[in-house]
Amino acid sequence: MELVQNFPFLTIILALFSGPLCSILKSKAAKWVNTIVIALILVMSVAVLIFTIQTGEAYVYQMGHFSAPWGNEIRVGILEAFMAVFFCVVMLLCMLGGRRELAEEVEETKQNLYYVMVGLLLSSLLALIYTNDLFTAYVFVEINTISACGLIMIRQNGRAIEAATRYMIMSLLGSGLLLMGICYLYDLTGHLLMSNIKEQVALLQQSGEYHIPLLIAITLMSVGLAIKSALFPFHSWVPDAYGYSTLSSAAILSSLVSKGYIFLVIKIFYRVIGFDVIRESKVINVLFVFGVLGMIFGSVNAIRESNIRRMIAWSSVAQIGYIYMGFGLGTTAGMIASLFHILSHAATKSMLFISASGLTDVSSHDTDFFGLTGSGYRNKIAGVAFTAGSLSMVGIPLFSGFISKVLFASAAYDTSGKLIPAMIALALSTLLNAIYFMKTVIRIYTPPHRAGIETDTRTITVREQPQKTVVLVLFIALNLVLGLGSQPIVNLLTKGLEMFG
Amino acid sequence: MGIWILIPIFLPVVAGVLLLLSSAKADHSSDSEGAAVPEKTAKSAEGLVRLHCITAVVLVVSAVLALLAAWSGDNSYTWFELMEGIPIYFQIDDVGRLFVTVFSIAWVLVCFYSFTYMKHEGKEQRFFGFYLIVYGVLVALCFSGNLVTLYLFYELMTLTSMPMVLHSGTRESIMAALKYLFYSMCGAYLGLFAIFFLYRYCDTLTFTAGGTLNLALAEGHTGILLAAVMAALIGFGAKAGMFPLHAWLPTAHPVAPAPASAVLSGIIAKAGVLAIIRVVFYTVGADFIRGTWVQTAWMSLALLTVFMGSMLAFREKVFKKRLAYSTVSQVSYILFGLSVLSPTAMEGALLHVVFHAFIKCALFLTAGIFICCAGLSNVDQLEGIGKKMPKTLWCFTFASLALIGIPPTSGFISKWYLAQGALEAEVGAYSWAGPAVLLLSALLTAGYLLPIVTNGFFPKKKEQGENVQKEGASAHGAAITAHAAGNASAAQAADGSSAAAAAEAPLGMLIPLAVFAALAVLLGVFPNPLIRFVSKIAAAVL
Repeated sequence: MELVQNFPFLTIILALFSGPLCSILKSKAAKWVNTIVIALILVMSVAVLIFTIQTGEAYVYQMGHFSAPWGNEIRVGILEAFMAVFFCVVMLLCMLGGRRELAEEVEETKQNLYYVMVGLLLSSLLALIYTNDLFTAYVFVEINTISACGLIMIRQNGRAIEAATRYMIMSLLGSGLLLMGICYLYDLTGHLLMSNIKEQVALLQQSGEYHIPLLIAITLMSVGLAIKSALFPFHSWVPDAYGYSTLSSAAILSSLVSKGYIFLVIKIFYRVIGFDVIRESKVINVLFVFGVLGMIFGSVNAIRESNIRRMIAWSSVAQIGYIYMGFGLGTTAGMIASLFHILSHAATKSMLFISASGLTDVSSHDTDFFGLTGSGYRNKIAGVAFTAGSLSMVGIPLFSGFISKVLFASAAYDTSGKLIPAMIALALSTLLNAIYFMKTVIRIYTPPHRAGIETDTRTITVREQPQKTVVLVLFIALNLVLGLGSQPIVNLLTKGLEMFG
Repeated sequence: MGIWILIPIFLPVVAGVLLLLSSAKADHSSDSEGAAVPEKTAKSAEGLVRLHCITAVVLVVSAVLALLAAWSGDNSYTWFELMEGIPIYFQIDDVGRLFVTVFSIAWVLVCFYSFTYMKHEGKEQRFFGFYLIVYGVLVALCFSGNLVTLYLFYELMTLTSMPMVLHSGTRESIMAALKYLFYSMCGAYLGLFAIFFLYRYCDTLTFTAGGTLNLALAEGHTGILLAAVMAALIGFGAKAGMFPLHAWLPTAHPVAPAPASAVLSGIIAKAGVLAIIRVVFYTVGADFIRGTWVQTAWMSLALLTVFMGSMLAFREKVFKKRLAYSTVSQVSYILFGLSVLSPTAMEGALLHVVFHAFIKCALFLTAGIFICCAGLSNVDQLEGIGKKMPKTLWCFTFASLALIGIPPTSGFISKWYLAQGALEAEVGAYSWAGPAVLLLSALLTAGYLLPIVTNGFFPKKKEQGENVQKEGASAHGAAITAHAAGNASAAQAADGSSAAAAAEAPLGMLIPLAVFAALAVLLGVFPNPLIRFVSKIAAAVL
């Protein structure tokens, strides 16, 4: 066994223990420890990715030398390693981009706690990506939930606490359903390791026994994770949670936390149940309908929203809808499109949150739509980044959003009967996206005195916020990389998905 | 060698972006002073001259390069692969040549006009920044070698031309810009929908005369393919102002600065025509839609728009809005010519692309002169204007005659070919209904343009003429004219008494207008080289 093969396990442990370490350090030291740990994990994940690409196959890593079916396992392929790399990149950028807000909005004494939560969150995300054991996945889902709650309520104003409570309730409901699903499945198959469950499920499917309990297990797990990842109609917690938490939290929650759960859904579909069984179970049709509805309703609500942070949050609901619609197509191409959209949305949404906060900074911290008039001139880099993010969301070629839309459209093509609804939903949602994003872009570039609106006259130059500028430039670059060099990434995802099951 | 194609695309874009970047700072400082029409200090006047020089040089150089690239033979260049099998690819063919030539001539002339006009609007640096960028995008659009490239630059064109609509930054103009954006994007997505299907059923998306539709693959999917083509027609028809997505034109034009209206109507509306030509004749192939419901629907929509646009223009009193409706009607002449799918009609359509671009630029530039030099935006106020601005009104007269189609002006030639083509083609009742509607619309065109001329030269009542004179002089427009001409004594006169009438427009505005008007007439007198060129295009695709 090579040293690199230990890295997935090490990254999880490293992230997990960086938390306690942060809690005893001074807050400045904790900040650096956190940054360095994320960067280190990023480097290690890149090494794992290169290793898996070179070997061209997935490998299983046993924990504690107990062999299957009793031991606990980690399974690493190209897809897992790639996701880990991507999540680390986005996380690092989100943390750097929201650092100033964190210092301003969170009490001095609570800042260490924030880094503890981030460490836990990262470790749970990595564990969700790598683990091959369904119960381990559940444990880390819970860790994820708790740390995400902490991230929301760390700001400790009324709205944030309310939002955290709502998030907690919805999320625990989701976890409960997931747990019930896992119990059912354990009863039916007698295993907790994913690969073993799949063998048993295939046998059950052949014999035709326990058809309904299996269906119930699938439904419970899908719905549980759908609630946790804010699929319409379980999205009611989203606008508050993303709208009132501190900047890094909003960016991380929208671009990573929900994606971690979605990745688990993919894992359950491919590795636990088997995609053919899922396709026959018709659960995906339900997901398809919810996804399509989410695409429309999320955007409609975003149009009606006048608070920019909440508007971006509503847009997340729509984008999650895209991802589930891709699942609902029930084809590998649809899954690839969803995976690409996970990347594209993560890169875009966190950029939008960070740039929107840059815009509100120069508008007396006014998140209201009209208060933002002309803010694109007052904080130039934030204006440019917001525009780039909007164009990507709308789906202008050159940006990542266009590619995911094309992938969704061509995936929809190969399905029977879902082509027309998918196409209509894509077209409608794109149009709605265009309305609210372009409206905002025009607003931030409208000179205030011409529109007759009094606004803040404070300006922030690039020199005053070097860190944020670098972060935003990197985010724009990430978006362009996804938009221009999509083919190698799609190839990688395809190859990863082949060895995923 | 092919890489030369990129230079005329990127040179104006880069220059425009640089102008915008440097303008953001300058604009902001003037913002905080709250000056809408800034009093020009000596320093900023110097800056303005520099800005004009930069813009003019960049634009002329890139136009020359674009024309050189276009006319130096067939060329192609693959820039990069957007996705597997979808390259961003440029290719020069005859249609691209025709469009890029028209676009470049009009763009440069309107640019020179704007140097004077935009003093009246302010924020010149931003305007010219976007003006340059849009030119680069348009060149790219003309040179696009496949549908995806075309779509990319089509979207970019919408986005970059939008700031020209909302230039004044008022609430009205923002709403108009949003409407423009909404219609254009709505249209573009319908187009994208079609592109997606065509990608499936065509051998390649690279433009090939006669189309690349794989008939064996398309077998059994004709219904959905036809629907996709219809979606593309309606979608790209939005830019061309075709019913049902035409409503942005009359909203966007009155609020945009006159040069922006001129290019929106004269040029950017033609980009929609270009996209339709590319989809129908270079990807799907005319034979696929010949005789189907798509052709019928297309012809009906085009004729309906022709008639409706003329009627609305006839009723409209705001000058620029009237011209906008006129554009709605005239661009649909072109679309009708394309829709009958006969070579002669297509020649007529392509000729009308050229002629209408120049004529409509001339008309809008006239409207701009009336607004900027006399402060008149309503047609009723224009009574007696010919006494004060005879040269301007003469140019307007020639352009109007050309648009109506009175021989020997250019409009006559194109309409002749359109009617001939419709009569030749086997399209049932449309082969006579088409020419009839065209004729009726020509009458209406005369009805909405000529009264301006007659009333302008021969005011009905004397007092009314004086009224106008007073209005014109007291309006701030007069002061601005004088200012634009840099004539201090005239400014004093305008402030002092109502006797000083609005004078003739400054030469900087008059010369481009005269060139457009001359082109509108002369192309009709010497049309043969152009006709030969377009018949070559039509013969290749039909």
